[in-house]
This record gives sequence, C-alpha cells and structure tokens, in this order.
Amino acid sequence: MTLTETRPVALGEAISIQSLQKSYETATGVLPVLHDINFDIPAGQFVALVGPSGCGKSTLLKIIAGLVGYEAGSVTVGATAPREGRRDIGFMLQQSVLMPWLDVSSNIELPFVITKQAGRRSKERVSELLELVGLNDAASMNAWELSGGMQQRVALARALALDPGVMLMDEPFSALDEFKREHLNIEVAQMADDLGKTTILVTHSISEAVLMADRVIALGAHPGRVVGDIIVDLARPRRADMVSSARFQEISNEVRNALALALDLNGAAA
Amino acid sequence: MTTTTAPSTAQIARLGIVPRRKKAFLNRTWVRIALPVLVLAVIIGIVQVMSATGMLNPITFPAPFDIAAAFVDLIQRGDFWHATWITLQETLFGFAIGAGAGLLIGALTGTFKTFLVAIYPFIVAFQNTPRVALAPVFLTWFGFGMTSKVVMAAVICFFPVVINVVAGIAGVDDNAKTLFRSLGATKSQTFFRLTMPSAAAVSFAGVKTALTLALLGAIVAEFVGASEGLGVLIKELSFQLEVAMSFAVVIFLALIGLALYGLIELIEKKLITWARP
Repeated sequence: MTLTETRPVALGEAISIQSLQKSYETATGVLPVLHDINFDIPAGQFVALVGPSGCGKSTLLKIIAGLVGYEAGSVTVGATAPREGRRDIGFMLQQSVLMPWLDVSSNIELPFVITKQAGRRSKERVSELLELVGLNDAASMNAWELSGGMQQRVALARALALDPGVMLMDEPFSALDEFKREHLNIEVAQMADDLGKTTILVTHSISEAVLMADRVIALGAHPGRVVGDIIVDLARPRRADMVSSARFQEISNEVRNALALALDLNGAAA
Repeated sequence: MTTTTAPSTAQIARLGIVPRRKKAFLNRTWVRIALPVLVLAVIIGIVQVMSATGMLNPITFPAPFDIAAAFVDLIQRGDFWHATWITLQETLFGFAIGAGAGLLIGALTGTFKTFLVAIYPFIVAFQNTPRVALAPVFLTWFGFGMTSKVVMAAVICFFPVVINVVAGIAGVDDNAKTLFRSLGATKSQTFFRLTMPSAAAVSFAGVKTALTLALLGAIVAEFVGASEGLGVLIKELSFQLEVAMSFAVVIFLALIGLALYGLIELIEKKLITWARP
C-alpha cells in the first residue's frame, strides 16, 4: 500500500461518552446492553474496543455513528451529538458491503453520490484513494471479481472517501485469513497514523487491538461496561514483529487480565 | 533434434503448474444440446412406431409425422396467423398490465409496512386461489372480445411478480441498509440506489414466470368464450377431429412460449449486468 496523501494532516475530532446507558426490549423484558460507559478520546487517537461477544461493543460503535439511540448519558463527536449521515464520520462494517452493480471506482465514489457531491473532484479523490489502498489496477473491476482482502480495501477507501475526521471500524477484517488480516492491520494502523484520524476499532482479538491501537478499552459483558483502559505505548510505526516483544506481551496480558477479572466477577455474581 | 513431451505428474507438482481442468462431460455445450434432442428423438421414435403398429389410434393420437405434416399445412393458413396475432396481443397486453401493476404494488408492499400489513394477506390468499376459475366471470364482465382475455392474462401474471418483488425487497442486505443510513441516504436514494438493484434479480424471476403464465391465461380465457385466437382454433380443430392439427397448434404455442422466455432472458441479461457469468 502506498501512502500518497499529500494534504496537511488535520487531527480528527474528539469523542466524549459520559454515563451512557443503553438497553434493548426483548420478548422476556428489558435487556441492559451498556451500563454507565464513560471515556474520552482525544482527537487523532486510535482506540480499540475489545471484549467478548455480547459486551455491546458494536452497539457502542453504532451509537457513536448515530445509527442507534440510547436512553441516558451523553455522546459527542466533535462538538455535537451523533446523527445519521454525518460526513465527518467514516463507518466500516465487518462485511465489505460492496454494491455488485457498481465497479470498484463507483463503489468508492458512492458517498459522493449520496451526498450529491459527485463530479470531477470526486473522480480525483477516487483515484487518490485507489492509490492509497493499492488498487489502481482494479478500478473498473466488478466487486465479485475481487478477493476478500481486496473487497475490504475497497470498503476502506469508501469509508475514507469524504475524508472524515473519525473512522469507526466494526471488526473490518475478521472474515479474512490470519495472514491477510495481519497485513491489513499494519497498513490501517499506519494509515490512521499518517492521516491523523480519530479511529475506533471494534475487535474480539486482543493482539489485533494491541498491535493497532494507541489505547485499548476493555469491555465486560452482561451488561457491557468498561473494565479496563490500557495505554499502548509501543513505538510507531507498528510492525508485525512487535507481537513477539516483551512489552507487547505485557500489554496484552494486562488487557487479558482485565477481561478475565470481569468474567470472574460475572461468574461470582451468577 | 529436440523432442517435447507432456510434463509428468511429478513435474507438474514440482513446477506448480496447474493443469487446465477438463470441462465436466454434462457441462459441454454440444452435450447440453445433443442430450435433450436425443431424448426427444427417442420419444418421437417410440410414438411413431406405436402408431405404425396400430398400438395408438391415429384419430385420437396422431403419429408424429402426421403432426409434422399438419404443422406444414397449418402455417399456410391465413386464419392461423390471424389467430396467432390475436393471442399474442392478448398475452403481451395482459403481461404488460399485470407485470407493470405487480412491480408497482410489489414495490409499495415491500417498501411500506402499512401496505404490507394491509394488502399482503390478500395477495397471498389470491396467489393460492386457482385464478383460471375467474375466466367465466371476466367473460360476463367484459364480454367475448379481447378485453376479457387481456384481463385474465393480467390477473394470472400479476401475483408471481408481486410475490417476487416483495421477496426481493425483503432480501436486501441489512448491512447495506446500515451503510446507506450511515451515509445519510434519503429514502428515495436508498430505494433507487440500493433496494431496486438488490431486488432486481429476484423480481425478474417473477417477471419471467409471469410472461409464460400470461400466454396460459389468454388461452384459457379463449377456451371459455371467444370468437378468435389460438385457443379458439384448438377447440374448433378438436371438435372437427383434426387432432393432428390441434397438436400442431399446441406445439406452435410451445414455440411461442419458448421465444417469449428467450426474449425476456435476453432483456434480463442486458438489464442485470452484474450477475456472475
């Protein structure tokens, strides 16, 4: 992947979450999903949300994106509350969700079309992004002709299309094999660093979280709550071989212990 | 002098050459054409032999060669082409009205929950009703002319289109909807840029079924009461014990059905270009 972004790096927007409560109505009653979530993310920081299934990390990401409401507390991205369609937020899902009737270029240009900004400038931006994600030669290919890794690169380029200050990524590479996943993790960590985006990555994987992020927020389940907030002080740029360093192992253990303690407490409560 | 030999299995494995896989026998084009032709030839042969040996009554079950001869006679008759034109008009008008209404009602039902709750139970109920039973009613309402046949064809092909459009819209990927929401897409943008193309393939399957059913509807309506058309011709020929010629008309109807199906498949390929080859 080549980084050709030549614009001056402007830091993304800060995110603040205070006393957040969220629950879902189910057939058996009200199910609390997130309980008293509090954290602030400074502009430009890369944060990984890690936790077991059912800890509400994807719901939290959707709340920040304005796709899901909440009962109590406050959430701000930049200076304002989240809402659907904010151009300063890029959202990337677990699946690439490419439109099969559009070629690669048109898929990347989709945010411009939706926001009625398609034109010469958007075409230039698509060319920049194709170069950024290393897909110059695939511009006119159909989505189904791409490998899983290439499809996620297109999805990444589409999320970056409107140059958002905040990138929200919900397990974006979990469907890929281990090798491709590690390769893309390093590239995305590098890119987020170079572009200065405030980034939140949701993941199940502790090593993925530590390898990519500046900070790992560990969430316990039932209901989801913050059980650990760990700074990752590994040098940047991150490299794949860092996973075998002593410091990487120490930080990973710290995250693991926070999650294990939450599991023990849950077990004791049950 | 140099000699070239095909690489051995060991060489292929060592060099990493992937030998071109042979196309499976049943996937070869000539096999896919020859096999059904062979089956048809065998059936025709068996019936021909049964007719020649007197096992089949030639008056009620004519020999294939007699049907072929009747077919040649048939296509030289002026009233045959007039009847064909009438039936084709009924079919195509009925299809246009039925499929058009089906697409519209299907899109409304699939998009708006109010429509789904209010209308869909009736659609499912009618879908499971033998709609050809309405042919005499339409005859009473619209008379012996072309209108009652067009209405029958329209009604019979309306339901599969509605059902498929609703299913197609229900099948739109939830992640894609989330993506469009995150981009701030309006309802109309989501409909035209996501829902319509996503549902197109399933909807078109309904349209293809509808075209075949429209022909069926027109013929059934002609049987019930009409003064012209291929259905009327079949009925008249059967009454006159011209069974070979009746069969010839039926075979011609099958050819019309095949041609219409081929045409709609061609249109589908032109419209839905993103389907995998």
